[in-house]
Amino acid sequence: MEEFIGKVWAKFVTKKTSKVYESERVYFTDIRKSLKIFHRLMGGEKAKDLQVTDKRALNTSRTFLQKISFLGKEFYLPWQDEKALYLPASIALFAHKEENKMLYFWLVAMATKVKVTSSNLVEQNTEATHYLVDRYSGFKIFYEQMSALLFSKSLQDKDVLSSQPFGMWIYPALNSKNKANDTSEEEELQKEQAKEKTDTLEMKKQSRQIDDKKETDGFLSFLPESLMNIMEQVNVDRSEDDRFDENALYHAEDLDEITLGQKSANLASRIKMDLDLQPDMSEIYPLGKGHFLDEWDYRTLSYLKNYVCIKPQITLHVIPTPLPKKLKKMISKIQGALDLLVLERVKNDALPYGDEINMDTWIDYCGHQNKSTHHQKFYESYEKQTRDIATLILADVSLSTEAAITQDIRVIDVIKEGLMVICESLQKLKDDFAIYTFSSYKNTKVYFHIVKNFKEPYTDLIRGRIDIIKPGYYTRLGAAVREGANILDKQKNAKKLLLIISDGKPNDLDRYDGRYGIEDTKKAIQEVRKKGITPFCITVDVQAKEYLSYLFGKNGYVVLKDSKKLPKVLPEIYLNLTT
Amino acid sequence: MSEIFYVPQTNEVELFEAAAAMHLPILLKGPTGCGKTRFIEFMGEKLSRKVYTVICHDDLSAADLIGRHLIDESGTYWQDGPLTKAVREGAICYLDEIIEARKDTTVVLHSLADYRRILPIDRTGELISAHPDFMLVVSYNPGYQNILKGMKPSTKQRFISLDFNYPTPEIEEQIVITESGIESERAKKLVSIATEIRQLSDTDIQEAVSTRLLVYAAKLMLKGFNPYEACVHTIVQSLSDEQDVIEVLETLISLHFLKR
Repeated sequence: MEEFIGKVWAKFVTKKTSKVYESERVYFTDIRKSLKIFHRLMGGEKAKDLQVTDKRALNTSRTFLQKISFLGKEFYLPWQDEKALYLPASIALFAHKEENKMLYFWLVAMATKVKVTSSNLVEQNTEATHYLVDRYSGFKIFYEQMSALLFSKSLQDKDVLSSQPFGMWIYPALNSKNKANDTSEEEELQKEQAKEKTDTLEMKKQSRQIDDKKETDGFLSFLPESLMNIMEQVNVDRSEDDRFDENALYHAEDLDEITLGQKSANLASRIKMDLDLQPDMSEIYPLGKGHFLDEWDYRTLSYLKNYVCIKPQITLHVIPTPLPKKLKKMISKIQGALDLLVLERVKNDALPYGDEINMDTWIDYCGHQNKSTHHQKFYESYEKQTRDIATLILADVSLSTEAAITQDIRVIDVIKEGLMVICESLQKLKDDFAIYTFSSYKNTKVYFHIVKNFKEPYTDLIRGRIDIIKPGYYTRLGAAVREGANILDKQKNAKKLLLIISDGKPNDLDRYDGRYGIEDTKKAIQEVRKKGITPFCITVDVQAKEYLSYLFGKNGYVVLKDSKKLPKVLPEIYLNLTT
Repeated sequence: MSEIFYVPQTNEVELFEAAAAMHLPILLKGPTGCGKTRFIEFMGEKLSRKVYTVICHDDLSAADLIGRHLIDESGTYWQDGPLTKAVREGAICYLDEIIEARKDTTVVLHSLADYRRILPIDRTGELISAHPDFMLVVSYNPGYQNILKGMKPSTKQRFISLDFNYPTPEIEEQIVITESGIESERAKKLVSIATEIRQLSDTDIQEAVSTRLLVYAAKLMLKGFNPYEACVHTIVQSLSDEQDVIEVLETLISLHFLKR
């Protein structure tokens, strides 16, 4: 009961003291994208982020009501540091949405013009204000109206301007000098609030994600008839679903056939998962005991027969994931370039027969001195270039991919993003493709992980499998290349591409390191070429140049520092293959 | 006295004259609407040479450049194409957006673009040596050249390259005023809008606003449209189709020119 009264009281005093227009509130998150573009437009640093600011304490005098309601002590102040510009989460200072929104734009414009520290706060802000008002008549009118309003509001509260931070200024960063004014107690309070803030933000995110999933992941997304199909075809002993199949020694290419069986297992558990299980419940399921491949020993210049054991596996209980929003823009960009590839028409003239008469050839013929010696190919026709390419993507998920590129991004994340982008493009091109990941633990265990085989359609389920890729052990590249080539060799397409995404040198715990690994991989690449498959390597290892040109040839690889470059690289690879 | 209005950005006029004197071909690079075509017309007039402009497209064949047989009542006859005409008469042949042309088409330029300066016409068996005043100029826009349509290095390396960019604000203001007849105050605002939009990287818009668009906007204003409307219809809508970007650009313009 006490709590209730307290709340009501808090509400009452808060209302009394703060003059806001709730219905006209403008939220930062709604216009963040626009503000970002605007920030760049005004000449702001391109890499700078826009974020929400925390409440900040300022030592000001407050009215009695403000004091008892804890209001007026902390404000949402706009400020910036090297990394980002921090703006209030929402603004409801003015009576119209338009004006509240305009204040955001004003603040962003201000931020690009000022460099505030606590000592030059007033000068910098006044200067920037003058600049904006002089240059932009729109801002001029806004400024005149708004500053008048802000002043009057402060006066209404029987307060002086100095007691309240001026809402149209940019304030110094948190860690600069003005902090010295604050007592340590307040600092702690601030920290606490900052913590709270991030907590709530995360909460928001999570609930949103769940929403997303619900949209695409409902029961109804499965057609009942497809379910029936699966049930009919598969003879799975349900009670033994979890048991590893000891007897079946599948070859990787045979997996195409049994994938449906795995899916049915997926389905059964997926329904369960939708109800209560966490995404962490995905498990890795080995497909058979494995099979053996040769390995090249450069010291004896001979193959070690059946030396490496390939162990195919697949992840079960995967949650289908839609395409991450942040990738969408990049993909739409790539699609522009790819569309050109798809639509390319080739004109063939001087044909003995064809769709249309080529007037030039005909007239040349008529004008020719001796008609009998002139060829009689008068036709032309347009041909649509057809693409018949099978692409197998082989992603290195060794332990080294766990390494961080920047604070939040690991190599594996770049690889995942890259995979998503590539898949999206290949899907768009209607090319056949498959994705496998690999990692190894000595020659006895080379895990060959299926993300998508050639027969599976590219769906949210595949994206889900990409999403849960985890770093494994070591990189026995040669074996993986051979296995990939074997699978690709069974495809009937005219052109075949083996796309390797890697983060470093081939290496493993045993002697597969240094020269041995490189020589074996080199040999494997040669075998691939002999099979008429084009190998190509995309690597995120900046120091990879030396050995990669040895392995793949000068034009057989590309070094990529971040996944953002993929849009540029991808069409190039495809151009190389189609021409 | 020159009739065509052109304000030099740097030393391009001198370079062009030097190249003309040495019989060297020229390659103009630069974004859309920064004055490449105008520059050629201006130089043509300055050097009193005729300019044959060919706008390249992906179906442009070598015959379109060199010429072809045509038919009239007396039978077939040979008709020179723009390139052949320029070679014979000693004119400037300007191939605009050469990157759009098919690669096999541009190869006919090779023998003209180096020291030989000859044009073989295989259909008539003729071999024309270029008139001393003949000059080959090509242009392309590196901004939206895509991966599929790069220029062949062997073609590219035959040219003296002139790099064009948007004029400095002062010059651009002068251009807008002269071209449209608008007064200096609004021209200044238009130019500052353009300068700001050009800060946007190509992630937001494909290509920045051209001087030509500014002139259009100014002309619309003089026709009596309110400045905000004029800018929205010329600048904003032409630059982007994305709603977010359009909104921001509109806001920017409303800051310079009030909505009402």
